[in-house]
Amino acid sequence: MASRTHQLTVGRPPRGTFGTIVETLESVWGRRELIMRLTLTAIRRRGADSVLGHVWWILDPALQMLVYTVLVTFIRQRSQPDFPLFIFVALLPWKWFSSALGTASESIRKHDKVLRQIAFPQITLPIANVVESVFEFCVGLIPLFVLYIFYPGHLTAWVFALPLIIIVQLLVTIPFAIILSAINVFYRDIGNSLTHVLRLWFYLSPSLYSIETMRNMVKNHPPLDFVVSLNPFTWIFTGYRDVLFEGRAPDLVPLLALSVISILFTFVSIHIFRRMALSFVKVL
Amino acid sequence: MSNPPILLRGVGVQYDLHLSRKRSIRKTIYRATREKVENERKFWALRNINLTVEAGESVAVIGPNGAGKSTLLQTLAGIIPVTEGKIEVRGDIATLLHLGAGLEDELNAEDNVMLVGAFLGIPGATMRKKVNGILEFADLGKFARAEARTYSSGMRARLGFSIATSVEPDVLLLDEVLSTGDASFRDKSRDRIVSMMKKARAIVYVTHDLESAAEFCSRAIELRKGEIVAEGPAKRIIADYQKRMAANPAAYPVGKPGRRP
Repeated sequence: MASRTHQLTVGRPPRGTFGTIVETLESVWGRRELIMRLTLTAIRRRGADSVLGHVWWILDPALQMLVYTVLVTFIRQRSQPDFPLFIFVALLPWKWFSSALGTASESIRKHDKVLRQIAFPQITLPIANVVESVFEFCVGLIPLFVLYIFYPGHLTAWVFALPLIIIVQLLVTIPFAIILSAINVFYRDIGNSLTHVLRLWFYLSPSLYSIETMRNMVKNHPPLDFVVSLNPFTWIFTGYRDVLFEGRAPDLVPLLALSVISILFTFVSIHIFRRMALSFVKVL
Repeated sequence: MSNPPILLRGVGVQYDLHLSRKRSIRKTIYRATREKVENERKFWALRNINLTVEAGESVAVIGPNGAGKSTLLQTLAGIIPVTEGKIEVRGDIATLLHLGAGLEDELNAEDNVMLVGAFLGIPGATMRKKVNGILEFADLGKFARAEARTYSSGMRARLGFSIATSVEPDVLLLDEVLSTGDASFRDKSRDRIVSMMKKARAIVYVTHDLESAAEFCSRAIELRKGEIVAEGPAKRIIADYQKRMAANPAAYPVGKPGRRP
């Protein structure tokens, strides 16, 4: 017994803002096994919800695409050529984003029992949900490549640039997931309003229409044009469209800027999360 | 002489009642407009706690419901941060608070063992070696391969207990665990906890079961309204507590350990 060193487990002195962020990043890496287990559990749970289980990961975006295609064909006279592929390329990443935020925002609350019993880095919970949503997204790529059978002209070598856009979107998603999971512990309204905020966000982004159409709509209103540029999904959707639909190089400068801003925002979100985490167990 | 496993100096834990329970933005705005009663919403679950547990000691924590016993354990476990004062807990900690937490309905027993192990921060390779022993002790029979949603509450408790007691901690924090499960399992679990207690460097045991507290613990503290009101050798403190309880039972409500708001 005496030979064992007994390190301080509880009551380590606070490390300040920067130290806390570093400590959190270390704990996420140190607990990657927990994140993996939580991810597998989340995947299992999603599959157990319904009769068709994980088939919904493919069916859901495919059906959504059909709905939008039908709608747009009826409403608009001159529709975007090859609309099914055009819309699918935006629907799939959006489904990823909204499902990641939806599950992550509930992640802390759903684990109230564990949080009350075991001391562990709580930030692993929303992160596991983000990782799970990446899997979901990747499965959704299967119907995308099926679509290429019908629109072979759109499949170019630029498809290999897809991981780049995926990484940018992942970087954008993480801080939102972290902050929402923490705030939702204190304000239950978040969960209710999130669906609607996300829907509005989707329509205000170049999702159903191309970035060119959107710029045309707002070109006489410079402030609106600026707002369009501030929306991260303006760049993300356009990035996906470039490599998966237009078959051209993505615009790297805004994507790089978006990544840098997202990483900084992630540090801010970790700081906020850790501040709020002090009260999680008292509130849950 | 090395540092004691547990050291608390002037520890206080404050609850902000207006943060508890369901909240909506509407209520927050409503409250913000009438903020004068600020202090009424603050509540000290623990205050001025000074406690040192030396290596080899076991301390019973007794007191009526709502005295802050469970909060003290959660604070020692690092689950609830202290609002004021200094806390030091050294070595690996095991908490046996509410058993069965962390079990997932959609996983079978083995996957659940691995998941809870990951929550506890035990490396997968170490945990994998323990799986068989844990499942055997939990005595789930053929249910071990089924998903946890098919388990009875007794089976869940047994599995939770088996996982939680599969570790060899330096600091052992117990909350009413001796009363887990059915009668036959209770004897088995009692033996297991006793052997854990022998191996641990320091034990804090929260209970309403005064006989077992007197049996297992060398020292006892009595909590009342978040403060330590009596401290000393377990037998004397418990006898004194029982005497006062017999004289005025209404002042010492006993029941299932209550969970804070």
